[in-house]
Amino acid sequence: MKAEEKLALIKINAFTYLRADWLERLLEIFGSGEEILKQNPKTLSEEGKISLETAEYFLKSALGLDAEQEIENVAKVGGHIYIKGEEGYPQEFLDIKEPPLVIYVRGDLNTTLAPTVAIVGTRKITPYGRRATAKIAGDLADAGVIIVSGLARGVDTAAHAEAVKRKKPTWALIGTGIGRCYPAENKELALGIIENGGAIISEYPFFTAPLAQHFPRRNRLIAALSRAALIVEGEVKSGALITAKMALEQGLDVFAVPGPIDSPTSGGPNKLIKEGAGICLDARDIIDALPINIKSNLETKEIYKEKEEPLDLSPEEIKIMDAIGSGESSIDELSVKLNMDVPSLSTILFSLEISGNLRCEDGKYSKAKI
Amino acid sequence: MLSSVQSLAIKALEGFLVKVEVDIAGGSPTFAIVGLPEQEVKEAKDRVQAAIRNSGFDFPLRKITVNLVPAEIKKTGTHFDLPIALGILSASGALSNLAQKKLEEYVFVGELGLNGKIHTCAGVLPMLISLRKAGSKKAVIPMSNKEEGEFADVPNFGAASLKEVVDLLEGNISFHQGYKSQTVEETLENYELKEDFSEVKGQALAKRALEIAAAGGHNVLLIGTPGTGKSMLAKRFSSILPPLTKEEMLEILQIYSVCRMLGKGKKIFQRPFREPHHTISNIALIGGGANPKPGEASLAHNGILFLDEFAEFSRNSLEVLREPLETFKVTIARAKDTLTFPAKFTLIAAMNPCPCGYHGHPVKTCNCTPVQISRYKSKVSGPLLDRIDLTVNMNPVNYKDWQAKSEGETSAQIRERVIKARKIQEERFKNSKTTANAFMTVSEIKKYCPLPQGGGEILELAMKKLGLSARSLDKILKTARTIADLEGSTDIKKEHIIEVMQYRPLDRKGVSDI
Repeated sequence: MKAEEKLALIKINAFTYLRADWLERLLEIFGSGEEILKQNPKTLSEEGKISLETAEYFLKSALGLDAEQEIENVAKVGGHIYIKGEEGYPQEFLDIKEPPLVIYVRGDLNTTLAPTVAIVGTRKITPYGRRATAKIAGDLADAGVIIVSGLARGVDTAAHAEAVKRKKPTWALIGTGIGRCYPAENKELALGIIENGGAIISEYPFFTAPLAQHFPRRNRLIAALSRAALIVEGEVKSGALITAKMALEQGLDVFAVPGPIDSPTSGGPNKLIKEGAGICLDARDIIDALPINIKSNLETKEIYKEKEEPLDLSPEEIKIMDAIGSGESSIDELSVKLNMDVPSLSTILFSLEISGNLRCEDGKYSKAKI
Repeated sequence: MLSSVQSLAIKALEGFLVKVEVDIAGGSPTFAIVGLPEQEVKEAKDRVQAAIRNSGFDFPLRKITVNLVPAEIKKTGTHFDLPIALGILSASGALSNLAQKKLEEYVFVGELGLNGKIHTCAGVLPMLISLRKAGSKKAVIPMSNKEEGEFADVPNFGAASLKEVVDLLEGNISFHQGYKSQTVEETLENYELKEDFSEVKGQALAKRALEIAAAGGHNVLLIGTPGTGKSMLAKRFSSILPPLTKEEMLEILQIYSVCRMLGKGKKIFQRPFREPHHTISNIALIGGGANPKPGEASLAHNGILFLDEFAEFSRNSLEVLREPLETFKVTIARAKDTLTFPAKFTLIAAMNPCPCGYHGHPVKTCNCTPVQISRYKSKVSGPLLDRIDLTVNMNPVNYKDWQAKSEGETSAQIRERVIKARKIQEERFKNSKTTANAFMTVSEIKKYCPLPQGGGEILELAMKKLGLSARSLDKILKTARTIADLEGSTDIKKEHIIEVMQYRPLDRKGVSDI
C-alpha cells in the first residue's frame, strides 16, 4: 500500500460516526481513500448515497486529522497503526460483519492461534463478582490464556488486574483513542498491561475522547479476538450482555457465572444461563470448551490438580471469616455478632486484610478470594 | 454647659472605655454627634430626644454637640443612647449637684426606646469584662442584660428606664447589686446534659471514633446513608467532652453577647453545637460584614461545628474554614483595622456516600453511576480533608441492634476516659502552646509519638497492601497517640496504629486493584 493511501485511510477513519462497513462502501464506490478525500461534499453525497450534511461533516473531520501527526504520536508510545489487510492487522477482524478500517495498537498483538478468553461484566462490581473474576481470570492467566476485556471499571478492571498481577499478557480493547486512559484511575493498570506483554487496542484516532457511542461498538472487537466469552456480572440490560450477544453471533462459546437470584448484577448471567449459556464455576469449565489446537498449548496441569489449600488462620480469625461468610459485614455488625470491641476487632481485621483474605471497601469487609 | 459621661465601646470582643462629651451652647437648635459614629449611633439623636421628653424632662432647644472620645475609633452599637441622654440632662442642668457628682461613679450602657425604656443591647458582657480589667467602676446596664452582666463580676445596676437611672443618680433608689443564687462553677458542675450516647444504638466504630476525637481534639468525618445516625451522634458529641470550665464559658458568653444571642433564660452551660446549612455564605460561616460580627465558626467556639451534607458546601466556604482550623481564630482584616474572633471548635462533618445517598445500603438501591460516586467523593478532598484525622463509614443499624437489650455505654462513662486522656495531654503540653494531640507540631510528633517495635513494618504493609498514602503518616501518629492516652499507655503500641487504619478509609486506593 502506498504511504499516501495509508495516510488517507487514517484520515477517513477519523469520522467515527459512520460505521466501518459504510466507509468500506465509500471505498468501493470511489476506489481509494485518496480519491474520496478529493471529492467535494456534493459529489460525495450524490455518488456515495449519504446526506449532504453527513458528507460535509465527514470531509471536515477526515481532512481535519493530521495523519502524519497520528503516526508520530503512536510511534512515541511505541505503538503501531494497522490498516485493514496490512500485515499485523488481526485476521480475526476480517471475519466479522464490520471490520475496523484502521486499528491502533499499543504493545504486542499476535492473534494467530492465541488462546484468548473474553471476561466482561458490570462496572458496578460486587465483592462476589470481584472474587469470582479474580479467581477465574487468575487461573486462566496462569494456564496461559490471554484475558481479553475492555479496561472499563468493575469486572473489566478486575480481570485485567488479575492477569497483570500474575505478569501475564492481557488485551484491552478500549472505547477511546490509545493516547488516552479512561477511566483515569486505570492509568497504572494500562502501563502494567503493556509491561507484561499485553496490548491496548482501539479503532479510534489517537486522542479520541470517551464518547458513549464508542463503547458498545468496541464490544464486537472483544468478541472477535476471543475464543470464548465469560460474563461475570451484569444487569439484564447492560453492555456485558451486548458483548455476549456479539459473541454468540460470532459463534463463540458463552459462559456465565451464576449468582444470587436477587442480586441485580447477577441478573444478566443468570438470564444467559437460563437461555443456554455455559455455567462457569471455575476456569476448567472454560478451558474444557476451547478448541483442541488452542488447548494443547496451555499449561493446564495446575488447574486440573485437585488441591485443598488449608487456610493458615488463627481460631479468632476463622471466627471472623465465618461471621462475614460470603456477604459483607461492617465492623459494627461484627462487634454485635461476636461481642467484641472495636480495638480488638481492628487488629484481627487488619491482619486478615494484609494477608489478602479480606477486603475492605467503604467500611465493609468481604472475603477477598474464593 | 459641658458634661462628660463614661461609657464603653467594643471592637471585636475587646471592650474599651469611651467618654461621651456633651456641649450645649447658644445658637439655633442643632444636634450633632461626632467621633466616628456609625449609622446606628447617629440615629441616637432621635431616640434620645424622644426618650428625654417622654421621661418627663425638657429637651434643650439649643446647639448640642456630642463627642465620643477617643474620636478616631469607629463607634458601633445602640448602647450610647443612655450615656448621651444623661450627658444632655447633665449639661442642660436638669440634674442636681448630687446627681452630677454621682454621674462620675458609673459607666453607662443602654439603648433607649422612644418612651424612655431601656432596651437590651449587644456586647454588654465583653464590655463589662474589660471594665473589670481596667479597674473597678460601677456599671449601669439594661435590666434585660442583667443576667449576662452577672458573669462579669463587676458591680452593676440593671435599669429599666431613663427615669430609673435618674432616680438612682438623685439617690431616690439605692444601688443594689443583683444577687447570685449559685456561683458559675456550681452551675457548671451540676449541669446535666439531656442527650446521651447510650441513646444511639449500634455504631460501635463511629462512637469509638468520636471518643478518640473528644480525647485528642481531632476532627471527624462521618460518611453514611441517610438515617444512620450521623446527626444524632454529632449532637451528642458535647456530652462526652470535658465539662466547660469557667474561662471557656466566659469566652463563649462574650461571643454570644456580641451577637445578641443571650437573653432572658438563654443560658449557656453546655458546649455550643452549631449546624449551619450548606448554602451558608462565607461571611456567615466565619464572620465579617460591614460591622464585623462573629460567624458560625466563632459561635461554635469551645464547642462543635457540625457540617451536614459536607460535600454540598461550596469549595470556597470550606476553604475559608482552614484559618480557624489551623489557628483557632478568625482574623478579619480591613484597611483601617484588624479584628480577631476566637474560633476553636471540633469539626464534625457528615456526608452521604453518593449523590443519591444509598450507595452501600443493604436494602435500597443506589441509582448513581460509578463516575458520579467518585466525583462526589472527590468533592471533599483537598486541604480541608487534611485537617480531618478520623473518617468513619457508617452503615444503617439493623433491627437486631435496635432490639438489643443492653444499653451502650453512657456519655458519663465515656467522658470519664476522655477527661483522663485530656489530663495526660495537659501534663505533656504544659510548656507548649499545644493543647491536645491533634494540634501537635511536627517536632512534637517526633518527640511524643515514637513508632513502637514493628510499627514501621505495619505502616509499610498498609502502604503496600492497602494503598495508604504517606501523607497521612503524621495524622496516624497523632491519632495513635490519643488512643494510647485513652488506654493510659505511655508508649504507642502496634495495636494503636492498627486501630487508626480503621479511621482512614479515604486513604485507601479506590476501585482499581493494583
